[in-house]
Amino acid sequence: MEQTAAVERSDLIKTLQKEQETEGYISDEAIERIATEFDVPPVEVEGVVSFYTQFKRIPPGKYHIMVCDGTACHIIGAPLILTWLADALGIRDGETDENGLFSMESVACLGCCSLAPVISINGKVYGKLDRKKLLKTIREYKKAEDSNGRSNQTQSKSTAENTGAAE
Amino acid sequence: MVTRIKVGTASCGIAAGAGEVLQLLRKTAEQHGTLSDVPIVEVGCIGHCYAEPLVEVETDSGRYFYEKVEPKQDQLRRILNLEEQGRFRPNEARAQKERTSIMALAGRIEPTSLEEYRGHGGYEALAAAHEMAPEKLVEEVKESRLRGRGGGGFPTGLKWRFLAGKESDNKVLICNADEGDPGAFMDRTLMESLPHLVLEGMLIGAKATGARRLFIYCRAEYPRAVKNLNTAIEQIRAAELNVIDGHAVDIRVKEGAGAFVCGEETGLIHSLEGRRGTPRYRPPYPTDYGFHGAPTAINNVETFANIPQIVRYGASAFTKTGTENSTGTKLFALAGDLQYSGLVEVPMGLSIGEVVFDIGGAERGGVKAVQIGGPSGGCIPAEHFDTPIDYDSLSSLGAIMGSGGLIVIGTNRCMVETARYFLEFTTRESCGKCTFCRVGTKRMLETLERITGGEGSAADIERLGDLGTKIKQGSLCGLGQTAPNPVLSTLRYFNDEYQSHVEEGFCPALECKALVDIFIDPDQCNGCKLCIKACPVNCISEDFVVDNAVCTRCNSCIEVCRQNAISRVAKGGAVRVAS
Amino acid sequence: MSQAKNNQVTFTIDGKPVSAPPDRTILDIAAENGIEIPTMCHSERVSRTTSCFVCIVRDAKSGKWMPSCSASVMDGMEIESSSPAVLEMRRTALELLLSEHTGDCEGPCTLACPAGADVEGYVRAGRHGEHRKALEIIKERIPLPLSIGRVCPRFCEKDCRRHVLDREAVAINDFKRFAADLHYDDYMEELPPLSGERVAIVGAGPAGLATAYFLRRDAGMSVDIYERLPEAGGMLRYGIPEYRLPKEVLDRELAHFKRMGGIRILCNHELGRDVQMAELKERYSAVIVAVGSWRSSGMRTEGEELARGGIEWLQELAAGGWQGDNPGETVVVGGGNTAMDCVRSAIRLTESPVHCLYRRTEKEMPAEQIEIDEAREEGAQFRFLTQPISLRRSGNRLVLECREMELGEPDASGRRRPVPIEGSEFEVTADTVIAAIGQKTVAPEELPTNKWGDVAVSEDDCRADENVFGTGDCTTGPATVVEAVAGARRVAASVEAYVRGEDRSLPPQVNVSRGHWQSLSPDDLTLLSQPAERPRTRQRLIPLDQRTSTFGEVSHTFSAEELAEEGARCLECGCTAQRDCSLRELARSHRADPELYRGAKGESGYDASHPHIILDNGKCIKCGLCVKLCGEVINENLLGFKNRGFETRIGTAFDRPLPHSCTECGECVEACPVGALDWKQKTLEQAGG
Repeated sequence: MEQTAAVERSDLIKTLQKEQETEGYISDEAIERIATEFDVPPVEVEGVVSFYTQFKRIPPGKYHIMVCDGTACHIIGAPLILTWLADALGIRDGETDENGLFSMESVACLGCCSLAPVISINGKVYGKLDRKKLLKTIREYKKAEDSNGRSNQTQSKSTAENTGAAE
Repeated sequence: MVTRIKVGTASCGIAAGAGEVLQLLRKTAEQHGTLSDVPIVEVGCIGHCYAEPLVEVETDSGRYFYEKVEPKQDQLRRILNLEEQGRFRPNEARAQKERTSIMALAGRIEPTSLEEYRGHGGYEALAAAHEMAPEKLVEEVKESRLRGRGGGGFPTGLKWRFLAGKESDNKVLICNADEGDPGAFMDRTLMESLPHLVLEGMLIGAKATGARRLFIYCRAEYPRAVKNLNTAIEQIRAAELNVIDGHAVDIRVKEGAGAFVCGEETGLIHSLEGRRGTPRYRPPYPTDYGFHGAPTAINNVETFANIPQIVRYGASAFTKTGTENSTGTKLFALAGDLQYSGLVEVPMGLSIGEVVFDIGGAERGGVKAVQIGGPSGGCIPAEHFDTPIDYDSLSSLGAIMGSGGLIVIGTNRCMVETARYFLEFTTRESCGKCTFCRVGTKRMLETLERITGGEGSAADIERLGDLGTKIKQGSLCGLGQTAPNPVLSTLRYFNDEYQSHVEEGFCPALECKALVDIFIDPDQCNGCKLCIKACPVNCISEDFVVDNAVCTRCNSCIEVCRQNAISRVAKGGAVRVAS
Repeated sequence: MSQAKNNQVTFTIDGKPVSAPPDRTILDIAAENGIEIPTMCHSERVSRTTSCFVCIVRDAKSGKWMPSCSASVMDGMEIESSSPAVLEMRRTALELLLSEHTGDCEGPCTLACPAGADVEGYVRAGRHGEHRKALEIIKERIPLPLSIGRVCPRFCEKDCRRHVLDREAVAINDFKRFAADLHYDDYMEELPPLSGERVAIVGAGPAGLATAYFLRRDAGMSVDIYERLPEAGGMLRYGIPEYRLPKEVLDRELAHFKRMGGIRILCNHELGRDVQMAELKERYSAVIVAVGSWRSSGMRTEGEELARGGIEWLQELAAGGWQGDNPGETVVVGGGNTAMDCVRSAIRLTESPVHCLYRRTEKEMPAEQIEIDEAREEGAQFRFLTQPISLRRSGNRLVLECREMELGEPDASGRRRPVPIEGSEFEVTADTVIAAIGQKTVAPEELPTNKWGDVAVSEDDCRADENVFGTGDCTTGPATVVEAVAGARRVAASVEAYVRGEDRSLPPQVNVSRGHWQSLSPDDLTLLSQPAERPRTRQRLIPLDQRTSTFGEVSHTFSAEELAEEGARCLECGCTAQRDCSLRELARSHRADPELYRGAKGESGYDASHPHIILDNGKCIKCGLCVKLCGEVINENLLGFKNRGFETRIGTAFDRPLPHSCTECGECVEACPVGALDWKQKTLEQAGG
């Protein structure tokens, strides 16, 4: 039974990942619930959640922008992207705007280094960005949002699932 | 006659727009009539990421690549009719120097087609392994002198021998796919493009070591890789390829959750166990006490990818490539200031210069250094570019092989800023447990920020060297032990840049914001005002003077100016120019 | 690898050959062989964390560095546990930990006191009515509490953190005065038997008296003090007026010195006349010169001899029992405490106006603000930016010609230099002119002097020449009584080391500080409980008409109620673990510098909601002992690590308060090597020394 408990505990992160995917963040209530489910002290679950950058403790925006700050992107200008986005959206790294529409965070390498600089919005990757392209992309999201709140580019709130247009 | 069309939809392809190309290609082919039955499939990466989106057309008389394909119907129609001009060919030098061995099938076959993989010899090695005694299998790997491709360079055969020698029904073999080095995408490419190759290597490992549970610990940031691996695993189970010595070996993919330190063996194990991914002291090594106490061995993705060929063609064939102490090939993720970025596979022993200039197409005389090994590695200056790429030659230069990230640093990049960038990464990723790493890296970062901020002193440079050495000595795990490397190597080879920042307040590359002003040359300016419009902080006056106190040095104005009138100059004087 | 017989491995630790089973740690085997390697995060009771790395050692054979608490012994190792390189690594580990540490080992009051008294300790004792204990704490460092409780400029209060809340310090010195007033006469400290060594001191002012006290109490030496004036006390008797320090109080204070036994004061013995330096040097093991700074500086103008020197005028008044002739209309030139003493003494002797001329503005006056304010209340007329040019007699009056000044660029002291305004001359007439613009030392001729004429002593050991030492104003120029006391302790230690040929001194104590109150907001403080919201208690004074006509003591000592109320304003800044902190202790013994790696601090929140336990993240070293004890031993799992990297901290689930039942357990508190988890209640046993 020691073995079973141990195997179950090793599903903790996967469970938290599912919660993060469906809700977009991990609430206090979720931590309590999952702690009970796994028979792990809540403070320990909270500790696991706070250790990994994937888990958020506050709800993200409808469109979550991840700005890659990997080496190639950084050299070519990721910090500028953060600045351009900050100007365009009025939020900084790790923040959500007041309408809950956009949130932004700087992330470790997305693995698309030849296309630097790269961002991903709700999992969709945009590469070889300059200021013009970046702002155009943001404008498109804003425009789509304005028209009846439905967006051509809406993905589910799920994280970096690179579905491409094929799916 | 067109027999099949392949579109590269690995992450680099998707980011370049391959998704739209694929969709439109299918639509166009449907309308075409004669081609409506031709399979249009998604494949992985062929390593020429700079050329994505890539479309390959297979005919009964040959294969043709087209690069940078756009989702435009008339181009796609021409491609389908084999009328399109400008077929893509990799450059000569790369074609010569590359040695496509584990990457041979990448981009050639559908990643999750078991039949296609088998059709090209896949799982023959596993079949051969079944006929061998485990000790013989381990011996073969030992003879190949294959060394861990994750950065440590530990002899794989030796590691498997340790695990094989343990008496246990619970042995675990883990594939470390937590490729966290910024700028590295070798493992991502392998997993997206050739999941079966990696899994075959793991299954052979299970046979050799007696492991009954296989885990792939993969970064959450690689969803495509996770998807393809899971599909491949299902296929393996369905075909019962995971039955080894009468046991159905359990294979599963576990995702990381965004912690670079989980690439560290014991951090990885703790994360796998559902805990905070902080490493612990070793010994005991994982082979003695690993996942939930069971004997465990951890190998890198690329390491596993090399196994099938060793078993299929034998160790001595394998040792014919590479050097005496670094056999086989190595994947490198080339990025930075070069023409042909992407994934390359080269025999060990090729020189840095050959990779950078011949394969990568970087400009001779335009390269200052390469960064090898990511945040754990070192910068190697151009004068050492004739050094062969193998584990021992690199470490003698104060660098490490690392997992394969190779960043080409042009002459107009600041080495101090590069070091600061890597240290910022490792400081952020530190697990926080041990004093020297948690506090030491933070203090080194603060020191570097002073230097790049124009407020550094000679004492600061001395501190970097002293503290860097101490952090290497006093840290609990590899993250802390290697975090100072980029700083120490740049101090060694580019000390003059540090001195320049500190003594003269001058950044030779004109990169460090605090030491740079933006200057509009009135003689070149034609008054078009594009710069004023482009400036995100409105710091350019109507008479074309930049308010450098407000300017964020974003380069927007420089990008839009058609007169080349705007440039970055050393703070306080327009006269000095980047060296 | 060769395995020795019986499954033992052989290796060396600090050169000593040892054999042990292979699975033991280096730390344990070292301890069994009498070598204590310091640790902070290690405990036998829980699984190892391997976090602090203070236990780091080096294997000279392989060159590897390892944490001895976790590394197993191996055959052939040559462990160095305290070589210079290892000690340097250990010190760096401590310095890194200190750099992310937020706290105050000692309250800023204690750090500010020149004498190093445990200020927070005696304030707390006074607040809780433990007055004898308070005096014990005070006398540990301050042998003249009756005087200093009245005349101290209160360095402690300048740094008091209470300013952060309501811009006013706690009235600390009034606690000293209360405890001394109440218990000075009946408190006798523990004294060692006389050792037989004999030391001579020249000068029975505060410096000399305090030096004698420390030598008698801490070293058991016999002391003869040679005093040139008819009575002992120095500035306390002949410089500071009666209304600030009644001489009856001073006599009480001096009586104790006689009661101690071993201290003799020989008055009317002047060096150079009644006793010679050469014979003192011969007859005694050491001689300490503490003759003070008594010669008034002249005005350096024409007619300066017509003015009385400030300190000479006061000395005459003192010798006459604070009764003197009416000085008539008086002009005092100067801006220091001596000038105020002269001004206020003159006011008490005459109905005529008393003026004070100073060449800069009130802001630049060195005198204590309270003295200036009280002088003004008593009717002193201040004239600023005024410089005397010449003095002459006119009939039976004096005429002081003055010029107006304005402030120019700062001088070496940082104060703006006064610059004369041409053509602004005017005259002031008076009956008496007193020049209180500074004093100089008259150094014994045998001794070396510095450029200001003070006795030159070495900074290390206060020695002037052979077995002659110097302390007090005669080495520093005019300073305060408490500074004289501080210097006395230093010279006493030096004399003891010199006479006995050994140095008992410890490495200097290490202190981490949150910073000066001017850079702090209430959120930056760790408050154990809600501090009282009340303004500072003011001293009660005698009526103004008495102040201007008598030399009666102006201020009253606080009452016991006032003390309790005022004590509740104290924020108790010093860390609860100040005497029980591994980090502080190890930092001291390894001479670690808390400021070397100054930079960002770690997470600094705290939870003081529990009635007995304080959880202060700013002090945490992330050793994990609390987490593991609560988890592995107590099985309550109340604590855990959160975040990652530099932002790592400990806390409860959702930072809820610790349950009250934790008081009965207290394991985490006892295990915490620093003050991150500690008992809130500061016991009085903690205080003192």
